[in-house]
Amino acid sequence: MRRMAQAKQKYDSIPIPGELSERVMQEVEKANIQRSGKKKRMRRIQRMRRAVVAAASAAAVLFMVGVNTSEVFAREMSDVPVLGAIARIVTFRSYDTETEDMNISVEIPGVEMISEELSGLEDKINEEIHGFCEQYAEGAVERAEEYKKAFLETGGTQEEWAEHHIAIKVWYEVKSYTDRYLSLAVAGSENWSNAYHETKYYNLDLREGKWVTLEDILGEDYARIAGKSILQQTEQREKETGLEFWTDQWDGVDESTKFYINDAGNPVIVFEKYEIAPGAAGEQEFEIVK
Amino acid sequence: MKEELYDKLVAYIVENQNKFYRLAYSYVKNQDDALDVVQNAVCKALEHYGDLRNEQAIKTWFYKIVLNECFALLRAKNRMVLTDEDSCCETPYEETGFQSHDDLYAEINRMENDVQNIIKLRFFEELQLSEIAGILKMNLNTVKAKLYRGLKTLRVAIGEEGGV
Repeated sequence: MRRMAQAKQKYDSIPIPGELSERVMQEVEKANIQRSGKKKRMRRIQRMRRAVVAAASAAAVLFMVGVNTSEVFAREMSDVPVLGAIARIVTFRSYDTETEDMNISVEIPGVEMISEELSGLEDKINEEIHGFCEQYAEGAVERAEEYKKAFLETGGTQEEWAEHHIAIKVWYEVKSYTDRYLSLAVAGSENWSNAYHETKYYNLDLREGKWVTLEDILGEDYARIAGKSILQQTEQREKETGLEFWTDQWDGVDESTKFYINDAGNPVIVFEKYEIAPGAAGEQEFEIVK
Repeated sequence: MKEELYDKLVAYIVENQNKFYRLAYSYVKNQDDALDVVQNAVCKALEHYGDLRNEQAIKTWFYKIVLNECFALLRAKNRMVLTDEDSCCETPYEETGFQSHDDLYAEINRMENDVQNIIKLRFFEELQLSEIAGILKMNLNTVKAKLYRGLKTLRVAIGEEGGV
């Protein structure tokens, strides 16, 4: 399963001879001499030296960044058999905007598929994910602006407002990535309000090239199976933690119930805050073992 | 403007020289040739930097030159490593059956050129498929199809079982 990661390790451990940088610089200097007239030559070389020093320090920074992205990449590769690598999650777009009133940081994932049969799906998925991210970010900005207006209208001062440090964040997380499924969580949150937090789950069947439903995993009787399992688990948690679940107000599982797929390939049903238990309990997750 | 682009190109090459060396080495399989490939590529790039359109194109443009130099050198030495005959690979063909099951790296180095390029650029150099399409002057869908088929072949070669 870790073969692609091992292959990359082998590749990355190809030793770099000390002579390499000499040979590269040799060409750079040679080209400089050819390019510039003799008078300009010294100035040019000085300038190039500076560029090279700048490049070397840039390389140091890049290296640090590189470690992070490679870790994600390595994890992704190490968990996945070769053929499973038909899809890859990339950060499609990420931006940080800092205005006077707020800080917005958005990281939009994109799915890259290599199978020909899935290329139509790729566009559809990406459109949907990007739509959700943009929509959430726009809504969050509007809510923050309204909040500011209300704050100032009710006697708050600009200085007090500045203390709020409003931050809006949209990000994603790969829940699992196996030979069969790719499960992705995309979330948005606003630091000034607990009420606004939204997570969407995208579960893909990589073999069939379609979204996965609970019915696909648990069968026709999924609503009853999942419902029963959740009730058993809430009972157990009530006993263990004393937390009171609002199961009598709960309508049960249906096709709109949110879930992701874990590494074991089991669906994990997620309830947002206040959905099935007091807000203080936070999100509640229930794994439904097949 | 051109001056600036030139400086950026030099900076890019200096910064990433190890990567180009490894890529070259993975094809030519010895230090002297790999050093020659990188040096020739730098020389060509700096001579022809006028062909470079803009800063965004530096990466794909230079990778293309490195790969061209690799294959030019292999051809010149008249030992195309990666053809179907598998004529000069380090590991004899019989070994692919059992022993080298666990050596995906060696399997990759035995694949046909196009597929090998794609797999190396994607998994080792971690480039995006669209960048790879640019480097290899291929349609994006062709890249995807070749990669897909290549990974399937690899899976058979290393005996990875299907199923969850």
